[in-house]
Amino acid sequence: MEILFGAPALPLDEAGKYVAGAYVVFVVLLVVYVAIMAAKVQRIERELRDVAAIAEEKKEAQAAPGRGSETPLASHGSGGGGTDV
Amino acid sequence: MYGKGLKPLSIATVAMLALSLSLVFFYAPLDGDQGFIQKIFYLHVPLAIVALVGFVAGGVFAIAHLRTDNRKWDAYSYVSIHISVIFGVAVLITGAIWAKASWGHWWVWDEPTLVSFLIVFLLYATYYPFRYAIEDRDRQARYASVFAVTAGAFVPLNFMAVRMAQSLVHPRTFATAEGGMPGEMMLTFLCSLAAMALLWTTLVKFELTAKSASGQVKRLRRALDAPVAGGGSRIAPEVS
Repeated sequence: MEILFGAPALPLDEAGKYVAGAYVVFVVLLVVYVAIMAAKVQRIERELRDVAAIAEEKKEAQAAPGRGSETPLASHGSGGGGTDV
Repeated sequence: MYGKGLKPLSIATVAMLALSLSLVFFYAPLDGDQGFIQKIFYLHVPLAIVALVGFVAGGVFAIAHLRTDNRKWDAYSYVSIHISVIFGVAVLITGAIWAKASWGHWWVWDEPTLVSFLIVFLLYATYYPFRYAIEDRDRQARYASVFAVTAGAFVPLNFMAVRMAQSLVHPRTFATAEGGMPGEMMLTFLCSLAAMALLWTTLVKFELTAKSASGQVKRLRRALDAPVAGGGSRIAPEVS
């Protein structure tokens, strides 16, 4: 804190807007990346909820008498493939 | 598995970024030649170094993938390259802003350091179409690894070639005839470099965690969708 209060005022003249521009670009890129990743994480959460619902349905189907456990539950979709790279 | 330690790593990254920004603007002295513009150096150069090291790391992970055939290393290689390409975009934009402020031009074509970085960046920009042009996942991973190894070897060669090409336009910060940077600037630079390295590591870990979670959810879904035969679990063991 002592460093902050003892520091001279920043020379925000002509050079200041270039320096600010460079740092703002960096922050914007970072925020855009984090926003994209947040959307991705939300999608994973949604998929996880779907999977939990399928598991619950399957569990109920197995527990109910006269109903087999071979139901493929195709209505929920296949979900795509392997490592998501 | 990838998410282990992500929280303390994120906290350390934010703390280090805050420290380095404080040092840049309130501790490091103004450069005698460039003045306040030189503050871009503490952002641009660490980003460039971390991006290039990240490309090389992508090549090293690709070697591990080719040797072991473990898809984990392919994911590491892919994510390393992906984050380094994002850092590369930041390097090019911040470099252009610095060039405009110092030299009066957004880009200088006869400066080997700039052009060589652009070549490396464009080389890695072709990684995505190259990778996704192949449908078979095993072949895709194998070919992408070969690409990552070849391009990763090109990065240090390119760096050495540029160093050998003597240029007076782009400053040589660490080994000048005048003796390099003063102590305060060097300390600030090293903190900025550490902050960028931590940021790169955090983003790589974050993306790997998301990819791993997504892959596991898909495997679970496939296992649940498939008819159960013999009562055993069809859920594949987790790939670390």
